[in-house]
Amino acid sequence: MIAQQLLNALVVGSVYALFALGFTLIFGVHHILNLAHGAVFMWGAFVGLYAVTLLHAPFIVALLVACILAGLLSVALDWIAFRPLRRRGAPEFSAIITSIGAGLILMNIAQRVSQTRVMRYPFGTFPIEVYTVFGLRVTLLQLVIVGSVALIVAALFAYIFYTGFGRQIRAVAINERTASLLGVSPGRVYFQTFFISGALAGAAGVLIGIAFNSVHFLMGEPYMLRAFVVIVLGGLGSIGGAVIAGLLLGLIQTMTIAYVSTDLSDAVLFSLLFLILLVRPTGFFGTLRMERRVTRA
Amino acid sequence: MMDALAGYQSILDLILLNCGLALSQYVVLRAGVFSVATPALASVGAYAAGIAALRLGVGAVTGLLIAAEAGTVMGLLLSLPLARLRGVFQAIATVALVQIVLSLALYATDLTGGANGLNGIPKLVGTPGLLLVIAAIVYVLGSLGRSRIGHAFDAIRQDETVAVTLGISAVSHQALAFALSGAIAGLTGGLMAYHNHSVVPEEFGFNMLVTVLAYVVLGGRRSVLGPIAGATILTLLPELARPLAENRLIVHGAILMIVITYLPHGIVDTFLIARRRRMTAAARTQDLNEAANGRA
Repeated sequence: MIAQQLLNALVVGSVYALFALGFTLIFGVHHILNLAHGAVFMWGAFVGLYAVTLLHAPFIVALLVACILAGLLSVALDWIAFRPLRRRGAPEFSAIITSIGAGLILMNIAQRVSQTRVMRYPFGTFPIEVYTVFGLRVTLLQLVIVGSVALIVAALFAYIFYTGFGRQIRAVAINERTASLLGVSPGRVYFQTFFISGALAGAAGVLIGIAFNSVHFLMGEPYMLRAFVVIVLGGLGSIGGAVIAGLLLGLIQTMTIAYVSTDLSDAVLFSLLFLILLVRPTGFFGTLRMERRVTRA
Repeated sequence: MMDALAGYQSILDLILLNCGLALSQYVVLRAGVFSVATPALASVGAYAAGIAALRLGVGAVTGLLIAAEAGTVMGLLLSLPLARLRGVFQAIATVALVQIVLSLALYATDLTGGANGLNGIPKLVGTPGLLLVIAAIVYVLGSLGRSRIGHAFDAIRQDETVAVTLGISAVSHQALAFALSGAIAGLTGGLMAYHNHSVVPEEFGFNMLVTVLAYVVLGGRRSVLGPIAGATILTLLPELARPLAENRLIVHGAILMIVITYLPHGIVDTFLIARRRRMTAAARTQDLNEAANGRA
């Protein structure tokens, strides 16, 4: 029983990690708290679903298309919402407000497109196969989710820590002005980080959509709020921290639902967030040189 | 004729209630605290007032005092941990608080009625009552804003380090802002409970948080007229045209994006700044003319 719960926790947690990674990447590199990330995630789920239902694309193609389109959406978001603010040297307050605004617009469009319906994948989009390993019931879907999250996270680590582009991203994270003096083009780095972040959100959207077989325009909000817990626990801007914290969050949530109460699971999660902020606002795995007291302009 | 008037009255009531929420959010933002706890504080006030009326059978005045008291205590308690945080972290912590209050309200069914909320609250407040309370809040905030405290708030918001070197205690002023914000939100929550006959837990969620933030961003964070203008405009807009009501989120979102990028002080403050600039310019030319005449 407990092993089965741990397995569920791993599946839920890995998707949380995937969602929170894109969120924390943008904060870590550009110091923008992108509250439209949940809306990009939701649009990723929409694109995946429409690719399957309208274009009859196979699942893997739908996943790729959703990743690419969500990535481009995220880049467009940067151009429309954040770039005008950067030109004006606006304070961090402005970026939060404008991302909330962009999120509202994206949600409203999705509501009109879907006519406020909860949409489902057609039966048989994903083969239902159940394996029994050491007495545990494992579905093929669970294996695919955990496997693809592991693959994506490994690719992201390789990209950021072992390639020249990744080195440029890290340079901008430390100091954008110095990096641009050294020949790094900030515009290209913004493009990359927003694209990667959006693509991760898109992948998370498709995986969540098929795992719970429900896609609707409000689905981004609860994940957005949970991503706060993940990134604070892991340290704002810490990539490794986000992965560990995402898995931990899945564990805490599954265990609360299984052994305490479903209704209390949110209260427990957000009280935890509040406590961590009080005790250790930089999180437990924070690595990037983060200031605990963020300067206010 | 009567129907038309009754229609306008309900919009006026809605504007007044939204003004109350906007003013609560305005106080903290003016003092440079990025707290978005207003829905949580209003929720506490609404439940306090509702439970007091249902269980104890108190009247409107007592009930509203209890609501304001509950909000104040909550705001003061909140100010203690939040004094340790800044900027983004304050925003995240208060978003978490809103979620905690919401899920506790849904969980504590015996006290709050759970997902059904509180129902059958006697209607204790009408339009005159709302007007009176909101006018009193505006008066207090307006005179406070022109006093030493208001200037201290502005200094802390613009540059906390400079404010502290000038001998302004950021911690105690921000605690005051939290207490005020809590009192106003609690009062408004109480008014909502007594005006709407009911308390619905989901009403005090993320949506309210975003909407209230939009009021203050649109209106402005310095003058007390800012949040009132913002709440009035954004409440009236959906009433003016049907497409605006259907796409309320797009309207809010676009206003947030455009105003914060191109009018970062909000409409009222931008207007006031421009007027003051014109007046000082006019005064200066007058001085110059007089000086020239005197010499002649």
